[in-house]
Amino acid sequence: MAKDMRENVLRLSDVTMQFGGVVAVNNLNMEVNRGEIVGLIGPNGAGKTTVFNVITGVYAPTNGAVALNEKTILENYPQGKMKTMYKGENAGKYGKVQLLSPDKITKMGVARTFQNIRLFKELSVFENVLIAKHMNIKANVFSATFMLNHREEKQMQEETMELLKLLDLEKNKDDVATSLPYGKQRHLEIARALATKPQLLLLDEPAAGMNPQESDDLMHFIGRIRDDFSLSILMIEHHMQVVMGVCERIYVLDYGALIAEGTPSEVQNNPKVIEAYLGVD
Amino acid sequence: MSITVFLQYCLAGISIGGIYALIAIGYTMVYGILRLINFAHGDIFMMSAYFMIFAMVNFMIPWYISAVIVIVSTVALGVIIEKVAYKPLRNAPRMSIMISAIGVSYLLQNLATYLFSALPKPYPDIPVLNRTIYLGEVSTSLVTFITPIITIAAVAGLLALLKYTKIGMAMRAVAKDFETAQLMGIKINSVISMTFVIGCSLAAVGSMLYFTPRPSVFPLAGSLPGLKCFVAAVFGGIGSIPGAVLGGFIIGLSETFIKAAGYSEFSDVFTFILLIVVLMFKPTGLFGENMTEKV
Amino acid sequence: MMTKKSKRICTVIALAALAGVIFCIGEFASTSSMLRTVLQLGSIYALVAVSMNLLNGFTGLFSLGQAGFMAVGAYTFAVLTIPVAYKPGVYYLYGVADALAGVSLPTWAGLLLAGVLASLFAAVIGAPVLRLKSDYFAIATLGFAEIVRIVVASSPLNRVTNGSLGLNSIPGYGSYYTPFFVVFICIAIMVMLMRSSYGRAFKAIREDEIAAEAMGINLAKHKQMAFVISSFFAGIGGALMAMYLRAITPTTFPVLLTYNILLIVVIGGMGSITGSVIAAFLVTAAKEWWLRFLDVPMVIGGFQVPLLRTGFRMVVFSIILMLVVLFWRRGIMGQNEFSWDGLCRLLRGERRKKRPGSKNSVGGGAVNG
Repeated sequence: MAKDMRENVLRLSDVTMQFGGVVAVNNLNMEVNRGEIVGLIGPNGAGKTTVFNVITGVYAPTNGAVALNEKTILENYPQGKMKTMYKGENAGKYGKVQLLSPDKITKMGVARTFQNIRLFKELSVFENVLIAKHMNIKANVFSATFMLNHREEKQMQEETMELLKLLDLEKNKDDVATSLPYGKQRHLEIARALATKPQLLLLDEPAAGMNPQESDDLMHFIGRIRDDFSLSILMIEHHMQVVMGVCERIYVLDYGALIAEGTPSEVQNNPKVIEAYLGVD
Repeated sequence: MSITVFLQYCLAGISIGGIYALIAIGYTMVYGILRLINFAHGDIFMMSAYFMIFAMVNFMIPWYISAVIVIVSTVALGVIIEKVAYKPLRNAPRMSIMISAIGVSYLLQNLATYLFSALPKPYPDIPVLNRTIYLGEVSTSLVTFITPIITIAAVAGLLALLKYTKIGMAMRAVAKDFETAQLMGIKINSVISMTFVIGCSLAAVGSMLYFTPRPSVFPLAGSLPGLKCFVAAVFGGIGSIPGAVLGGFIIGLSETFIKAAGYSEFSDVFTFILLIVVLMFKPTGLFGENMTEKV
Repeated sequence: MMTKKSKRICTVIALAALAGVIFCIGEFASTSSMLRTVLQLGSIYALVAVSMNLLNGFTGLFSLGQAGFMAVGAYTFAVLTIPVAYKPGVYYLYGVADALAGVSLPTWAGLLLAGVLASLFAAVIGAPVLRLKSDYFAIATLGFAEIVRIVVASSPLNRVTNGSLGLNSIPGYGSYYTPFFVVFICIAIMVMLMRSSYGRAFKAIREDEIAAEAMGINLAKHKQMAFVISSFFAGIGGALMAMYLRAITPTTFPVLLTYNILLIVVIGGMGSITGSVIAAFLVTAAKEWWLRFLDVPMVIGGFQVPLLRTGFRMVVFSIILMLVVLFWRRGIMGQNEFSWDGLCRLLRGERRKKRPGSKNSVGGGAVNG
C-alpha cells in the first residue's frame, strides 16, 4: 500500500476525549489520505462515534490536535478542573486552544451522517438537500427575503436537483423525509451531506439495519460516490462484509484506544482484534 | 439600620423565602419527573386560597378543619389537572405538554375570575396565626415566625420520604431515567400522581401561610409568586429539592432587603435578572445535574 | 391539479375578493358594527401571531416574550407620536421629559421605530438567552417580558412612560384600512422570508439542531436572526395595538396576552402562517363577538339559563382552547400552508397522503403552493 504517496486529508494527533473521569477516546492517532476509504471499527462503546463528534466539532477534544489538509483546525489541552483529572497521555505536548463549531468544520469540507438518522423529518427530500446549500449563501437575509438573489436561489435549486438525479432520489423529491423507506433515508442523509460539497465524508454506520442485498448495494454506492465526488471517506461500520469489501485501510478501536490498523486482511488476522471482538478464553 | 430592624427584615425575608421554597418544591419535583414546567402551579396556589375563603367564610368551618379541607381539595385539583391535561400528552413533544400547562393556567385564571369575580376577596382572618409575638425587641406575627419552621419540617419530612420509603425510591428512579424506571416495573402513573400530591399539598400550606398576613386574594394573585418560585427552583438547580429550598430563601431574603433599601419597584426585576444571569452562567443552577444530549 | 398559471389567477381573485369584502365592511357597515372591530383587532392578532409563529413554529424556539416586545413597540410608538399639543395633558402629573416635549413623528415613522426598538431589545437579550435550552429559554423570555412591564411602570421613567398612569391621546388609525394595509405588508414579508433560503435554514433548526449545524448552519447567528425579526414585527404589532386602543398602560401587556397569542398560534398550527392568520380572526371573533352572549344573563320562557354571567365567556373559551391543545394538536393547518391543490383535495373529499405519526389536516400539499 503506497499510502505515503498520497496527500493527507485528515490527521488526528494524540486525541484524547475525557468526559469527567471517563476516557472515551485515548491518545488516538490516525489519518485519512486523499481518495481513501478508511474504516473505523470496534466493539460497541469503543468510542467510534465520539471520534466523529470530535472531528466535527460537536465535542472539544480534551487533548490533542486535528488537522485538515495538514492544517491544524482543532487543538486543545487539559485545563481547569481537567488539569488534575486528566488521565491521558501527552498532556504537555499541546499548548494551544483552537476550537471550531460544527458549522465551521462543515464549511471547511467535512460532512457527516449520523448513526441514528437525523433528517429534517417533516421537510421534503428536496428541501432536506437544498438546506445543505444554504451555508454558502452570499445574499443577506434582507435580499434573500425580497428575492434579490433569484439567480443564486435558482442555482442552489438546480444543483440540488442534479444531486438528487445522480443519487436516484429524483422520484421522491416531494416526499416527506420520514415517509421514505429506511434504506432511502440513509441514501438521503448521504445526499444531504454531499450537498455541502465535502472533501471528507464521515459515515456513521451507513449499513445499520440493512439486509444483505441492501448492504451490497450500499458498498457499490459508497465506492461510486467516492469516485464521482472525489471524496475521502472515513466510515464506522459493524457489518464486517461491508467494511472488508469497501475499505482500503481499517483502524480498530477498543476502550477508546487504537489496538490495530492495516489492510482488511491484516486486521482480520490480528489476534488483538479477535480478542477484542470475541473475548479471551 | 438598627440591629432590631435588621433582624426584623431577616425574619420577614426568611419567612417569605420559606413560602417560596414550599411552592418551588412543587415546580422542581414535577420538572424532575416529567421535564415539564408546570405553569399552572402558581394558579393552583391561588385556587387554594379561594378554597380557604370558601371553607371559612361561606361554610363557617373553623380554621384547623378548613386547613385540612383546603389541603385535600388542592391536592385533588392538582391530581385532576395531571390526569386530564398532562397524562394524555405523555408521548407528545415537550412543547405540546408545556402549551397544555399554559392552557391550564389560563383556564384556572379565567375560572377564578368567573367564580369569584376579578375583584379582590378578603382572606379570612386566622386570629391565632396573626397574633403578634415578641422575640426580644423584634415584634412579628406568629405566622411569620412559624413559616420557616413549617418549611424546614416539611422539607425534612419530604427528604425522609424520598430516602426511606418505597414510593420515594421509585420517585428518585423515575427522575433519574423515566424509561428505564418504567421498564423496571415502576408504576409510573402512581409516581406522577404522588409527585402532584406532594407538590400541591405543599402549595396549599404555602398558600395559607402566604395569604394569612395579606389582605386579599384575586385571580391573578398566583401568577407572579408562581413565576418567582419557578425562578427559585431554577436557581437551586431544577430537580433538586434542597436546591429549591435554598433558592426560595435566597430570593425571599434578597427581595425583602431590596424593598427595605427603598427599591420595592425593582424587587421583581431583580428576581428575573437573577434568573437570566443564573441561566447564563450556571444553567444547571446551584445543585443541578449536567445533562448532555447524545449525538 | 391546477396549472401554475391558474393557481396564480385564483390567488389574485381571492385576494381581490378579500380586499373587496374588507372595503364593503369599511364603507357600508355601521361604525359600531362588531364585524369592523373583529376585523381590525383580528388583523393585529394575526400579525403578532405570525411573528410568534416565526419563532415557535418555524425556528423551534419556544419564546414567551411576545407581550414584552409588543409593550416596547407600543410605548415607543406612543411616546414618539402623541401630538405635541396633547403632551402637557397626558403627562399632567410628572411632566414630560424635555427631549420629548417637542417630538411628534408621523405614523409611519412611529411604526418603523417601534419595530426597530423592539428588535434592538431582542438583539441585546438574544445573545445570552438564545444559548439556553428549550424550556429555560421560554422562562427567560417570559421573565424578560415581566421586566419590561415593571421597568415601564417604574418611577425613573415617569417622564417618558408616565408610570402606571400610562399614555393616552395616542393617534388612532388614519383610515379604517390602515391596520389591514400594515399587517398585510408585514405578513407578506414574513411569508417571503420563510420561502427564502434563510427560512429553510430556520425550519432545519426546528427539525434538528444538531443536523442543521452539521449542514453548516450557524445556529447562534440564525436563531438571533429569527429572534430579532420576530421581535421587529411584534413591536409593530404592539404599535398597532396602541393605535387601536388609543391609550395604554403597563397592564395592557400582561403575560396573559402572550398566552393568548400562543394559543392562537397553536390553534392555527405551529409552523403555518395561513393557520395563524385564520386562527387570529376566528379566535378574535369568538372571543369578542360570538361568545359575548355567554357573559349576559339570559331568561328563556321565564327560565333563567344557568351559568351565564360575566366571565363565563372566558371560561368556555379556555375550555375550547384546552380541547384543541389536547385532542387536535396539529391545529387547523398543522405545518402546512394554504394551497389550491390542498383546497381541491378537500373539496373532493380526498385525504392527503398520511404522514407517519401525524394527523390529517386541511389544506396541505406542497409547501410552495
